Amino acid sequence: MVVSALAPSRPSWSPFARYRHSLWLLTVRDLRVRYSTSALGYVWSILDPLVMAAIYWFVFTQVFDRSVGEQPYIVFLLTALLPWMWFNGAVSDSTRAFLREAKLVRSTKIPRTIWVNRLVLSKGIEFLASIPVLAVFAIFSGAQLHWQVVFFPLAVLLQAILVMGVGLIVAPMVVFFRDLERATKLALRFLFYASPIIYGVVDLPEGLHFWAAFNPLAGVFSLYRAAFFPDQLDWATVGIGSGMCLLFLVLGVLVFRRTERAVLKEI
Amino acid sequence: MVMSPPAERVEAATVISVADAGIRFKRNRRARRTFKDLFAGRNRRSRPGEFWALRDVNFTVASGEAIGVVGRNGQGKSTLLKLVAEVILPDEGSVSVHGGVAPLIEITGGFVDELTVRDNVFLTAGLHGMKRSEIEERFDEIIDFAEIGDFLDTPYKHLSSGMKVRIAFAVISRLEEPIILVDEVLAVGDKAFREKCYRRIEELLAGGRTLFFVSHNERDLKRFCTRGLYLDKGALVLDAPIEDVLARYNSDYGEPA
Repeated sequence: MVVSALAPSRPSWSPFARYRHSLWLLTVRDLRVRYSTSALGYVWSILDPLVMAAIYWFVFTQVFDRSVGEQPYIVFLLTALLPWMWFNGAVSDSTRAFLREAKLVRSTKIPRTIWVNRLVLSKGIEFLASIPVLAVFAIFSGAQLHWQVVFFPLAVLLQAILVMGVGLIVAPMVVFFRDLERATKLALRFLFYASPIIYGVVDLPEGLHFWAAFNPLAGVFSLYRAAFFPDQLDWATVGIGSGMCLLFLVLGVLVFRRTERAVLKEI
Repeated sequence: MVMSPPAERVEAATVISVADAGIRFKRNRRARRTFKDLFAGRNRRSRPGEFWALRDVNFTVASGEAIGVVGRNGQGKSTLLKLVAEVILPDEGSVSVHGGVAPLIEITGGFVDELTVRDNVFLTAGLHGMKRSEIEERFDEIIDFAEIGDFLDTPYKHLSSGMKVRIAFAVISRLEEPIILVDEVLAVGDKAFREKCYRRIEELLAGGRTLFFVSHNERDLKRFCTRGLYLDKGALVLDAPIEDVLARYNSDYGEPA
């Protein structure tokens, strides 16, 4: 057996490169595990939003006379529903970010924020992979693409910041208060209806417009929607929403820092 | 307590330094917890229902030293090892480690049941900081060492528990990191493989690695270690050559079986 003679001098990583490397490895692992254990793989990650979109489309265009959103309603729905799946998936998975990986967290010293950020990234990749579905519906329903589609990267960035912030708060807290896992599920279900997904901000009563902007998802979704429905774009909402996204991130980093050593003891 | 390393090693760089380190745990894991003590920070003094697993621990380790940690169960040995591995953080004092660490603690922890042995090797070695090209170079060696050549594309969950430990040890011990931490985990596996692991550790030591070894087995401690740390009731009681440490341990708690 060959062993290098002296204490080896391996090429060393910069902390940033090391972080990126570990983050990427775990993200790929997550996606791999998900797709290697289910036969339908990719289909599952788009089936969920599709079924939901089909239900709301049926209810609001076939049963009731549609009075919310814009035409074609199915595209209107999907432009917010697909990013919602990212938010929903990453936040609900972050409740188990440490608990499910306890053994690995206990044996490797990679920066602990990776346990949350890998979820943001893998769910974000699934979101990007679901965009073609939206494109197909847009083409067949004849929705018009506008120049506002350039705001797409901004929307992705804002949402990534938001999801990261919320994840950094939820993940460590669940370790101490297991009930939060169920509370988070409940909060997410509430948030689904409290966010402009099946409706637009403009459909809300006049007096609620200002307050709705404090739900950062309102601004983020209006940026996504602007690509097909420029009227949905309201910069005041986006401005307040961006501020809220950053606030969540700052809060998340603070909570995470303060609880990190206790989390490591607990798991 | 003597902190300075042996004279002939004075020129060797310090790789681990532990200064006034202390860490406390809840006595009762189910103890009621409030938001307030969650955010209490590190500087608060001990609160009811908590105990110091380790306190006021001071020592430094020079590059190339082989250190054995001795003490009865529950006296903070594994906690010390985890502090040095930096997988838990001290509540007071500091632990600084210069150079990479290959932790043989919960070695199977990073392995994913659903993925194949091959994927798992790349994943675990990668998480411990190896580049893909480095892993590829050592891949055959790792598989040879673990003796599981036929199971490369088998999902990890289908391996026997012995195989799982073997492949995990093979990967971590190939990390080429300058510091190796070994917990009692090696008690698993059959006798022949354990001997192989020990030979591997000896090779690594001969290659100039620093070893941090936790064990109850006096023979193993004498085989690898030159210096001993004796932990009792959460304090570092004696830091001396391994023979002296073992003698003191035996006189305190009687001859081990």
